[in-house]
Amino acid sequence: MLFLPLLAVLVQALSGAPVDAMQAPPGTTAIVFLFTSTDCPVSNRYAPELRRIADAFASKGVVFRLVYPSPADDARAIHEHMAAYAYSGAFDAVRDPKQSLAKFTGATITPEAAVVVGGRVAYRGRIDDRFVDLGRERPAPTRRDLFDALSAIVDGKPVPHPTTQAVGCFISDLAR
Amino acid sequence: MKRNFCFAMALVAAVAAARILSPTVRAQARATEKPTQVTYTKDVAPLLADRCGMCHHAGGSAPFTLLSYSDAKRHAGQIATVTGNRFMPPWKADPADGPFVGQHPLTDREVLVLRRWLDAGTPEGDPRDLPAPREWVEGWQLGKPDLVITLKQPYTLPPEGTDAFRIFVLPIPVDTERFVRGLEFRPGNAKVVHHANIRIDTTSVSRKLDEAGPGPGYDGLIARTATYPDGHFLGWTPGQVAPLLPAELAWRLERNTDLVVELHMQPSGKPEQVSPSIGLYFGDAPPTRTPAMLRLGRQDIDIPAGDANYVITDSYTLPVDVDVEAVQPHAHYRARDVRGEATLPDGSTKRLIDIADWDFRWQHVYRFVTPLSLPKGTTVSMRYTYDNSETNERNPQRPPIRARWGQRSAEEMGDLWLQVLPRNDDDLNRLSRDFRPKVAAEDVKGYESEIEKHPADAGLHDDVALLYLELGKSDSAIAHFTTSLRLKPQSAAAHYNLGTALTVARRLDEAAAEYRQALRIDPDYANAHNNLGNVLLAQRRFDEAIHEFSEVVRLQPASAAAQKNLAAAYAAAGRSPRF
Repeated sequence: MLFLPLLAVLVQALSGAPVDAMQAPPGTTAIVFLFTSTDCPVSNRYAPELRRIADAFASKGVVFRLVYPSPADDARAIHEHMAAYAYSGAFDAVRDPKQSLAKFTGATITPEAAVVVGGRVAYRGRIDDRFVDLGRERPAPTRRDLFDALSAIVDGKPVPHPTTQAVGCFISDLAR
Repeated sequence: MKRNFCFAMALVAAVAAARILSPTVRAQARATEKPTQVTYTKDVAPLLADRCGMCHHAGGSAPFTLLSYSDAKRHAGQIATVTGNRFMPPWKADPADGPFVGQHPLTDREVLVLRRWLDAGTPEGDPRDLPAPREWVEGWQLGKPDLVITLKQPYTLPPEGTDAFRIFVLPIPVDTERFVRGLEFRPGNAKVVHHANIRIDTTSVSRKLDEAGPGPGYDGLIARTATYPDGHFLGWTPGQVAPLLPAELAWRLERNTDLVVELHMQPSGKPEQVSPSIGLYFGDAPPTRTPAMLRLGRQDIDIPAGDANYVITDSYTLPVDVDVEAVQPHAHYRARDVRGEATLPDGSTKRLIDIADWDFRWQHVYRFVTPLSLPKGTTVSMRYTYDNSETNERNPQRPPIRARWGQRSAEEMGDLWLQVLPRNDDDLNRLSRDFRPKVAAEDVKGYESEIEKHPADAGLHDDVALLYLELGKSDSAIAHFTTSLRLKPQSAAAHYNLGTALTVARRLDEAAAEYRQALRIDPDYANAHNNLGNVLLAQRRFDEAIHEFSEVVRLQPASAAAQKNLAAAYAAAGRSPRF
């Protein structure tokens, strides 16, 4: 049997050093990449919900990584952003100024989640369906897509809807 | 010929379909225009500065700026999309309405320019083409205010939740009557403050509501005593500043008046400090003309669960000539389609406002650039459509439930406010007299519906009883004051109120008994002595009447009215006062 090597997807640590976004500690069942930006209001409004999801799955081998794809979001802005929205501690963060990870996962929006299991994208899309479109939002979500996807993954079941449409701010057009 | 016709039809269809430009339309439009290169400096920068810059500048109310090439390039995809679907610039009214102050529409052609710039790869262009940089005034847009009013301590908005509402009551420190020509609102935290609904309260009702709870402001409803001053709107939505009024239209600000500011906020994901401030601009002279506020609308709204097409209508025929200065529609989350129009005596119609996709979050005051003149005999009307089904994503209830009239955002409302300016004070009085019974009758419906929901709320019974008195329905007033008294039997005011309604109904013995009850509870209740005196006078019981009026004079020695009433009582008794 031939083993396919998993490709490294290079992103930047906040120190500026190149790192493989797929690198994770032993025992990791899934990596959740959360594409975000310091100035996207829709993205920021999800901070409390993301912390809840991270709390629910951190003990089940799920690693949560914030991804800042906008080149304008530098390390200092990211540190401030993570402190302000209480991400620090519960989340790693990487920069993706060349948008390699965005391309690899197919993410185009902030906030958008991509869940990688065994080197493959098992879920990519919205966190939940609270935002129907920009300027059109439900008072509460009717589907918690990311939560449901992670529940399926940790239970070893197929993800019900592997891709959904995220609503929010466009990831900068630099790499289009 | 045929091809051109098809193109025109396609454009009309695209405009009708929420103005989303299909790729076919784009391709055809491109084919009919000169193939010049769209660049940032020549084509895009002027549009962004002119139509977006008032919010998207550093320190503006938008979350990011759009005034440099790198900013614009970074957001080019988003810009093309949100202008294409008309989410931005935010303007809910049909572009054919108005024109209104602060309207910054992009034409279909301009939207195409932004799309073509994206498609061309966001070229920068020749720096010499850049328009002169615009200066954005920091701070007060109307200049230095004569008086600035701020919250004593900032309010902390929690990090999450749906739309949040908080009412702040701010005393206006003026030591004499002033004439207000302008009010500018600064949100203090533009990131979370979505709009402000501003009224004034000359009573202490709002102040007491604020003082009753902890922290700055209170949760709940704007009190009925908080009103628009002299028929002037005082609201704020992002990017908008109401211009200074002409001196002749200033509104009178009395001493001891409070500003009542209801903030609609959207949590940002982290705790936010909110500290709004209000600048007032005074004129030198009292107004010579006063507008009136007309309110069309229904308070008997009762939408069945699941009804996707519930319609309310209302209308009013003007008894005098007026100029419509501004309109403001109001409804909550279930309203879909909001329309107002005027039908002139000759049968022709003029549109006031059309909003095809009502959004509760854009509570805008639409001020006509040129006031709309409507002659006497014109009928102003409204027609609002509601969707209380599950297909309305904004529906606050899932599954949907019956929705009745109410001021809470989970209930429904449907009002169209019109600020109108009559020709002169005589016309203003004629209009006010003619209109008041209509609005009072509608308010009664709202109160009756609230009372059904909260039958033990004595304040609701008191308020509706006063409206019934105003409408000449003293029996209904007596019934509600009686209920109120049953709810708070130890209240002198409750006895007094019932006595007043009984007096109006000429049930004088019962009225006197209620005033006496009030005085048993509060012997120093001057108004109760006064009204009892009047009843006794009408019953020709002069000695007792003189006694009551003497009590009023004792309690209110500085009151000229009290002296006059006492003198009148002596005169009626055919006696001269003994001092």
